[in-house]
Amino acid sequence: MTVDLAIEARGLFKSFDGKPAVRGIDIAVPRGTIYGILGPNGAGKTTTLRMLLGIIEPDKGRRTLLGHDRPLEAARIVGYLPEERGLYPAMTTKEAIAFMGALRGLPLDVGRKRAEILLRENGLADYVDKPIKSLSKGMAQTIQLFGTIVHKPNLVVLDEPFSGLDAINQGRLEHMIRDEAASGTTVIFSTHVIHHAERLCERIAIIAGGQIRFEGLVSEARDRLRPQVRLRTRATEGAWRGSLPADAEIIGDHWEFELPAAGIEPLLKALIDGGAGIEELSIERPGLHDAFVAIAGEAAAREMEESEAMGKAA
Amino acid sequence: MMSLFDAAMVIARRDFIATVYSRSFVLFLAVPLVVFAAMVFASAQTDEAQRSEAQPVVALVADTSTAQALQSARDRLSAGLPERILPRLRIVAPAENVDVQARRLLADETLGYSAVISGTLERPVLTGPSKVDEIVGARLQLVVDDARRVAALERAGVTVQPVAIERVVTAQAAGNLQMIRRGIARGSQGLIFGVTVLLATLLLSNLAEEKSNKVIEVLAASVPLDAVFLGKLIAMLGTSFVGLALWGGMAALGYLFVQVVQDWVTMPQAGPAVGWPLFVILILLYYGANYMLLGALFLGIGGQASNIREIQTLSMPVTMLQVAVFLVAVTVVGSEGGALTWFAYLFPFSSPLAMVALASTSSSLWPHLLALVWQLLWVVVIIRVSSRLFRLTVLKSGSAGSLFSLNFWRKGASN
Repeated sequence: MTVDLAIEARGLFKSFDGKPAVRGIDIAVPRGTIYGILGPNGAGKTTTLRMLLGIIEPDKGRRTLLGHDRPLEAARIVGYLPEERGLYPAMTTKEAIAFMGALRGLPLDVGRKRAEILLRENGLADYVDKPIKSLSKGMAQTIQLFGTIVHKPNLVVLDEPFSGLDAINQGRLEHMIRDEAASGTTVIFSTHVIHHAERLCERIAIIAGGQIRFEGLVSEARDRLRPQVRLRTRATEGAWRGSLPADAEIIGDHWEFELPAAGIEPLLKALIDGGAGIEELSIERPGLHDAFVAIAGEAAAREMEESEAMGKAA
Repeated sequence: MMSLFDAAMVIARRDFIATVYSRSFVLFLAVPLVVFAAMVFASAQTDEAQRSEAQPVVALVADTSTAQALQSARDRLSAGLPERILPRLRIVAPAENVDVQARRLLADETLGYSAVISGTLERPVLTGPSKVDEIVGARLQLVVDDARRVAALERAGVTVQPVAIERVVTAQAAGNLQMIRRGIARGSQGLIFGVTVLLATLLLSNLAEEKSNKVIEVLAASVPLDAVFLGKLIAMLGTSFVGLALWGGMAALGYLFVQVVQDWVTMPQAGPAVGWPLFVILILLYYGANYMLLGALFLGIGGQASNIREIQTLSMPVTMLQVAVFLVAVTVVGSEGGALTWFAYLFPFSSPLAMVALASTSSSLWPHLLALVWQLLWVVVIIRVSSRLFRLTVLKSGSAGSLFSLNFWRKGASN
């Protein structure tokens, strides 16, 4: 079966001043999905998105955006929120939204009407004629997001959309992303915060050191790790110990190990028959963070955590 | 994707409104008027001061009859010449030793004499520094000669009655017409140059706003960079036309006011070779072409600057370039041919100024059509080179695409 792709990239390479930024990126984003690109700062996420959108040209490789080899040809049906937000400070919120729509071919009068609707629907009717320079950073970011979707694009590209937003605005943004996807829009966003991707995305790409380390469904990423068993027993010794995998570890007062390939039932039977005296047994499905560590490595995971911490501090 | 022109107009509209509706635009409109008024006032004051300062005063130390004869001769000659041509004479009664008196008069700073003329009509003596001969000597010779001629005629009893020259009025004389047309040519060049200098350097910093507030990323993802550059040029050209309309309108009102006060309203009889209406249209077209050419260049150069300091540093060479081009264009006014003339016509940055001068001195129209097409072509080339350079160096894009690719004109996907 052929999947209808909103974005397809093969072997994208890009260097800046001789230093490689991305090295052979392959991405396939099916239409109508929410797609996340995960990676620490400097991994190549923004460079990848900028190449996909045609802001910069790859040194090597090819990409198509909504079927167009030249991304600007699809500009009318694409929305883009760059990592470094950009608005004209003297413009009013309504004019700023309408202007961004006009850049994508939306008539200004239609853009103004839609801007008013977007602001009203999001409880921001009082801000219609406020100049951008009078808004908080988070509010200005929200306005730019409205400008990104005012022309009702088929594809929305968001570069680190959650950075700089407080919890309320992050929740609002998640809601908007889900709404966009529900209306059939493809949404692709980059983030260094794993839980946003985990909550929103069907598919992800994990990028580190300028290379894709994983690309596929979130569930596939998780399935790369076996579920973890956590076991606490009354007995410390006995025949039951023979049923534990060789790499089982004692952590504090309990054991931790990967669920054996045979499943939980044979293990449970062996523990009971062997007189373990089970006090607690739980099976934990690995999270995306664990999958990320397994796929991209500890170092990349640490960088992600540092990036996230810096983002929160900012 | 929108057509290049549609995209450029979106950019142009935003820039135009942002500029024209800003408070600083009022200053932008008012300052040249204030500066012009101040220059006119200062010029008038300077003329008056120069008139009294630049005109040498000569002490006339002679007996009464000689002094009166020389003073009368000066007055007669002055009647047909500009007042400042001849030195002023101030009669001083002669002392016993005229030589010593002359030196004392010249040494006295409060009196301010440039020279002293003494002696008689038959043996006049001019006392003063050696430079005096260059400044006043030759002109005093005219005065002395006239005084002696009149004295001789009086002695001979001959009276010469003044005769009025009969006037036969013609529409124009070729010599005058050429002079006037060259004046119009240089005036129009100066006008275009002045307004362009005033406005085009603004374009140096025009992309700085988008670079500093990161809007450039949004623009680059939405429309071709050529459209961004073209839109900015159109906006600034429109802004400059608002200024020109105001300044030109005020100048026209002033002109009409003067004419009405004088009870007649006419255009100057001697005009440019192509006629006034067409000439005014050509001035506007060449102004537009000149502005777009220099503006595109400045926008491209300014786009490379990463901060205000670099923009300020670039301003001087850019202004010098404009002055150099202006001087080339002024030099070839009225020239019939030659390498420099053809260079001025063909070099894109001097072409508008040289061609507007041609419109004043030659009535052929087809060279203007060719020149405007030629200049427009260069505007396109400069915009394309500038936007590609911007993409390569500022956006760090590896490949900027073909310089002459016309794909960007195509319309793209739509909802």
